Amino acid sequence: MSSVRFTTREIGSLGKPSWRVKAFAGRPLDEDDVREAERWGKKLEVEDYERLLEVLYLGTVGEAERPEIDDWAARYAIRLLEKVGLDVVYDGEQRRTEMYDHVASFAHGFEPRGTVRSFDNKYYAKATVVERPWAEGAQDVEELRFVAAHTERPVKVPLTGAYTMEDWSYDEHYAREGALGGSAKRRFEARRQFVEDVAERVIRPNVVGLIDAGADWIQIDEPAATTKPDEVPLVVLGFNAALRDVGAAKRSMHICFSDYRALWPDVLELEDCLELQLEFANRDSRELGTRDEDRPGYADTLRLFAEHGYPGVGLGVLDIHSDFIEPPELVRDRILYAVDVLGDPTRIQVNPDCGLRTRSWDVVYEKLAAMVAGAGLAEDVLNTAHAGAG
Amino acid sequence: MDAQEEAGLDLLSDGLLDWQDLFRPLAERSDGLTARPLTRFLDTNTFYRALLVDGEPRLREPIPAPGLPEGRWVATVPAPFALSQAARGEASAAALAANVLAPQIEAYAEAGCALVVLSDPFLAREGGAVEAVASLRELPRTVPLVLQLPFGDAARVLDALADAPGIAAVGIDFYATSADAVPDDYPKEIVAGVVDARSSALESPEELARFAESLVQRNSAGVSLSMNGDLQFVPEPVAREKILRLGRARALLAEGVPA
Repeated sequence: MSSVRFTTREIGSLGKPSWRVKAFAGRPLDEDDVREAERWGKKLEVEDYERLLEVLYLGTVGEAERPEIDDWAARYAIRLLEKVGLDVVYDGEQRRTEMYDHVASFAHGFEPRGTVRSFDNKYYAKATVVERPWAEGAQDVEELRFVAAHTERPVKVPLTGAYTMEDWSYDEHYAREGALGGSAKRRFEARRQFVEDVAERVIRPNVVGLIDAGADWIQIDEPAATTKPDEVPLVVLGFNAALRDVGAAKRSMHICFSDYRALWPDVLELEDCLELQLEFANRDSRELGTRDEDRPGYADTLRLFAEHGYPGVGLGVLDIHSDFIEPPELVRDRILYAVDVLGDPTRIQVNPDCGLRTRSWDVVYEKLAAMVAGAGLAEDVLNTAHAGAG
Repeated sequence: MDAQEEAGLDLLSDGLLDWQDLFRPLAERSDGLTARPLTRFLDTNTFYRALLVDGEPRLREPIPAPGLPEGRWVATVPAPFALSQAARGEASAAALAANVLAPQIEAYAEAGCALVVLSDPFLAREGGAVEAVASLRELPRTVPLVLQLPFGDAARVLDALADAPGIAAVGIDFYATSADAVPDDYPKEIVAGVVDARSSALESPEELARFAESLVQRNSAGVSLSMNGDLQFVPEPVAREKILRLGRARALLAEGVPA
């Protein structure tokens, strides 16, 4: 039997360095920003980072220099993910505002409406659809090319899914008429058409361009997937419509902070989906152990994976809304528990619950390093057991 | 407050502006409840901290009443069943009603509250009407209570709520509930959620008034007009305009709805 090996990767977003934030906000940079750029440049061994410092020392960044700043932010993020030892990397979405606005501000048919609260004091920009959305070509090809040119490791491109775009948008087009007192059937049809249009006219052109440019792994992010349990078929519709017949590439889906019970059996209809990368650690205990009662955040959902046999699982082992640094032993036990429930380590890969953009880079570094170490500990346990059994 | 006054609303709300979510202020002022895991709120892109139960829940200190005109303000708290659901059922709705919500409602009543809205975002979706209705018996009757069902199809629970004890009115989201789902002469007053708090589209006051009038003609127990849920789901400028349009719809209803 071949040895067990868990692939480690991030989900998508990292926080943006202060110098990147200030540069794009038109705010002056100070010595702390330069010191941070220097500290991380050294720590991550970013090639020629002194050139970034020269730009930052000027104190202000004009519009003309912003693309260069974006490039540096991407370089730093790639190096961070490499340095902690991830097998698969990207750029921490350093060029994107956030996952929803990135798409809504590019595609035609959306108009901004303002900001609304997501939780605590976190707000996000929200748009409304005013006509059938469409995009002129592929949005993220240059981003991918830059990443591919700056790493030797496999890359995974995160894309916001059609259903989440629909669910997070206001609708002043598809549902415009007859909403007050209208039927559920009418509401569903309006949402189905919205999802289908985003998948085919916005996401799909991007995917085609990315695969033509060499992408071999597309991750569709659908954090809204189970927000309306009856609409999980629309999530599946959006995934398949965006990815069908686009060429050879791995495809997977990320979902978080959701009721996963609603996903099955509909997700069995996802075409060629390598895995669902889910958030688990947020709802788990921080105590060690591999019994059911030790792992309350994992038990029920992993049984659904085991029962249905499809797809694989991207096991969220880091709570991305806490500065708590998961000890490698805790990561190990979460993985070993998953192996025990699924009975097949090849169906499991390892990642944080979600993007780490709300955490500082110091915390991110420690968390991801612990994740990689924990995956190694789990591999050691399993491979030692196999060797002993062999 | 200015927006509500300008719109001519009968009852005013402080907007729960310092509430992080529907449950946390009560949890923070209660023994036995801790708000922690980030959990999606219904089918929205907003989240609340689910409640961990680590003892017998009991309100330690009521949330202070907002400084609003006596007899003209409305308070909103989670319904007992909703609070229980936020605690993943680890504390019963009846116990939470008796030991957490009842003292809070009494405190609001003493401070001049005219109406308490018991917001239950889970009941219309999850079911559980038997437990929900039974828990209402534990609440005081010192102030009128409305059981509001935001963002859910109320059709499945309207029958069970017809005789709910202590409840003066039922709040129905008419963007999730068909108008046909409400039986003629429903025995409770209806607080009609006619302004969609989750949509940026601005409602026509005339359309709202016509819809409300059709409800009035079918329900002798009375009809009030409201949002279908909290306005935190739209940006502030949109929320202000929606409040104004609700006020215009109310005025049109009083003056006589244009054909």
